[in-house]
Amino acid sequence: MTLDKTDPRPSRRSNKKATSPLASYLLRRLGTSVLLLLGVTIVTFALTNLVPGDPITAALGEGASNNPATVAAYVERYGLDQPLPVQYLTYLGNLLQGDLGRSLSTGRAVTADLAVAVPATIEIAIGAILVSLFVSVALGTLAAYRRGLVTDQVVRVVSLIGLSVPTFWLALVAFNLFFLQLGIAPGSGRLSPQLSPPPTITGFHTLDFLLNGDSVGFVDAMAHLALPVFVLSLFTVGLLTRFIRTSVLEVLDQDYVRAARAKGLSGARVVLDYVLRGASLPILTVVGIAFGSLLSGTVLVEAVFAWPGLGTYAYNSATSLDLPGVMGVGLVVGVIYLLVNFVVDLLYGFLDPRVRLG
Amino acid sequence: MRTSPRYTGIAIGAVAALLLAGCSGGNSAQNTDDASGGSVVIDAAFSIETADPGNTYDPTGNMVAKALYETLVDFKGSDVNTPIPGLADWTQNDAATEFTFTLEDGRVFSDGSPITADDVVFSLQRIQGMADAKPAFLLAGVTIEKVDEKTVTFTTATPLLQLPAILANPALGIVNSKVVEKNGGATDGTDTAQAFLDGESAGSGPFVLDSLDLTSQVVLTRNDEYNGDEEAAYDRVVIRNVTESATQKINLEGGDTMVAMDLNGDQVANLADNLTVASVPSAQTIFLLVNQNATVGGVTANPKFAEAVRYALDYDALLELAGTGASEATGVIPPSFAGALADGVKQDLAASTAALTASGYTGETVRLQYPNDYPVGGVEFTPLAERVQAQLKDAGINVELAPAPFTTEIDPYVNGTEAFSMWFWGPDYADTANFLPFAPGLKVGLRAGWTADANPEIADLATQAAAATDPDTREAIFTDFATAMQQDGPFVPLIVPGSNIATANTVTGAVYNAVWTMDIAELSPTS
Repeated sequence: MTLDKTDPRPSRRSNKKATSPLASYLLRRLGTSVLLLLGVTIVTFALTNLVPGDPITAALGEGASNNPATVAAYVERYGLDQPLPVQYLTYLGNLLQGDLGRSLSTGRAVTADLAVAVPATIEIAIGAILVSLFVSVALGTLAAYRRGLVTDQVVRVVSLIGLSVPTFWLALVAFNLFFLQLGIAPGSGRLSPQLSPPPTITGFHTLDFLLNGDSVGFVDAMAHLALPVFVLSLFTVGLLTRFIRTSVLEVLDQDYVRAARAKGLSGARVVLDYVLRGASLPILTVVGIAFGSLLSGTVLVEAVFAWPGLGTYAYNSATSLDLPGVMGVGLVVGVIYLLVNFVVDLLYGFLDPRVRLG
Repeated sequence: MRTSPRYTGIAIGAVAALLLAGCSGGNSAQNTDDASGGSVVIDAAFSIETADPGNTYDPTGNMVAKALYETLVDFKGSDVNTPIPGLADWTQNDAATEFTFTLEDGRVFSDGSPITADDVVFSLQRIQGMADAKPAFLLAGVTIEKVDEKTVTFTTATPLLQLPAILANPALGIVNSKVVEKNGGATDGTDTAQAFLDGESAGSGPFVLDSLDLTSQVVLTRNDEYNGDEEAAYDRVVIRNVTESATQKINLEGGDTMVAMDLNGDQVANLADNLTVASVPSAQTIFLLVNQNATVGGVTANPKFAEAVRYALDYDALLELAGTGASEATGVIPPSFAGALADGVKQDLAASTAALTASGYTGETVRLQYPNDYPVGGVEFTPLAERVQAQLKDAGINVELAPAPFTTEIDPYVNGTEAFSMWFWGPDYADTANFLPFAPGLKVGLRAGWTADANPEIADLATQAAAATDPDTREAIFTDFATAMQQDGPFVPLIVPGSNIATANTVTGAVYNAVWTMDIAELSPTS
């Protein structure tokens, strides 16, 4: 068949291109994400303002808050004399221009504060999720294969301990043991005091040292990451191991796994290519949730290891009624959650062709 | 197409090898501390917003400003009663309304340029001009004028005997006016120099600013041009933000830090032998507030109720909760300040019972409000409140604890709507005048619903103390004021928490000061 000029098919094809499932999906996700973030700002703004307390007294202290001129200038500087709806709309207007306002507690732009705090937290969160994933996949699969045996019982106890031990306590014990008693871990902070931070490129110390070709700094930054990552990952290991064990158990009974075994494939091949791939969807869901909870779980770990991250910033902002700071943290955490969920959704389609975006 | 895990592994390995190869020739030597004059590491729970002295008014900020900038007046060690010349010596008139400061000869800034009267006038008028600067209130009502290149006068409409003590505050450090003006400094309220001063210092202190990260660390290096009498013993100082005192302790014991600023009394009591602790009472006072406004307080408004509470408490038992370095609060004026009382109230249950009966108390429950997330000098308010509750119960007073976060509890406190509460008070600068606000009709007094006409005698004592121009007379009036407050005031001072600075044995000279916490220039290696 030849196509004439009136043949509708080419135009139909171009229409199809314009509304491809992926583009349509991305647009929809973007729209819902914007609405969700708007909701985050409304809820955070409302909750922060519901807290009884005066941010001026909290920020200025006794002496300065007794000086009317200082209070007046402070109120004007931060727009605190405006009605709350006006304050919120002003915030939204500035937000559209990438301005998250000025922190009441640090006096600096919230974006500048977050540019330091967020990479510090993401650095340990990524480390923790990678370690957790590696360990829990191994333990969860092992426990499933050895269901009911001693190995299974041991793994279940270990995962229960991981879930039960208070993170703050574990952090202090681990710091005391590995730094003070055994001397195999460095002190607190992101770097040894003898070293200067690398010139900021990504905000991740490890990566920035690498990009600057500084091997001593890189090793030191990695060493300082080890304990916070270990402590933070223990809870996640406990969580993931239980899910992975359950997921693997479900898959082990599937016909295609039996068929793979019957074909004579090696045990490792069966685990990697059949069992874990089949169990990957629920695992992926939990990993996404775990990554989000890692961000909120860093508050206490950051406090013990003097890690200047998002948790520390959130705590300081909340306790000083620093509305712009709290709003900034809420937005960043919201964006990270949305991004992680988005990536998880995309990976669904990649891991299981039966899952289609739509 | 499916990617084999084998290829993925090879790819990751190759990238890792490339990265490691790339950094094997890394220039890390410049990143290590050459420590020719040594370095010292200090762990502190940060309370700092800037390195600009004109905008700073926080404990860590003051400590940093003290190291970078010099003030006209100074104190030695932990003493805050005797101002001594800093950058200048001074004379004053009998009425304590005019002070003439003469700069020391030959003193220079870190760029080598001389310190002049213009720098003094600019530095202090800059603060007066910045309405939203926290330390601006320190210079309210003070007129500053240059007389000649070396002389500056300060005049006030009313007597201000405490002016020299005020001028010792690190927030009033003298900056290099030419450098600061060139970078946005101004005295007319349009100042924008803070960003510059957060990047580099422009003072004459023993150190200069190397880097400032408000969340993690402040690094100072020796000021090679310094020609004062407090020369730095270390080439490099790293002040790290370690909020958890338990972490500070572990860092100190493990040798990662040399000075820990925030250990509480229990922690310093169990330190290893190779560590030293300097413990002194701080300048903070934890007290009970008994509201005298009948509308707010009900039964607490009867002065006899405050008296009953005062004699019901076992102060030694309360002090056990505060640990090393703390002392009983002998009055509203803490022990390190002129006019403080030598002895505090002693428990007297018979006197308490008599006062309670006279107050008309009939067993009703009184709510004790306090901030439960804001330890002062390591003293947690919740266990202290619980012990107060137990002791008052033994004396026949029923107390219900009503804790809340600091940021929410402070509102009813400053607005005077708490009937019975536990709070703390610290000085804004090093002078006993800071404790006059407890008087009837003044700031803290009004928070207790205590108006000037409620006790005209004490109100008069406060007025006399504020206006006194002779130091000896003034101290005597302050003592009378403190005595009267202990007898008839609506406040029950409990504890002056300790301040503990723990150091490794390799460091000496760590001394707590109520104004700037610690003078870093006084630190030196143990010989």
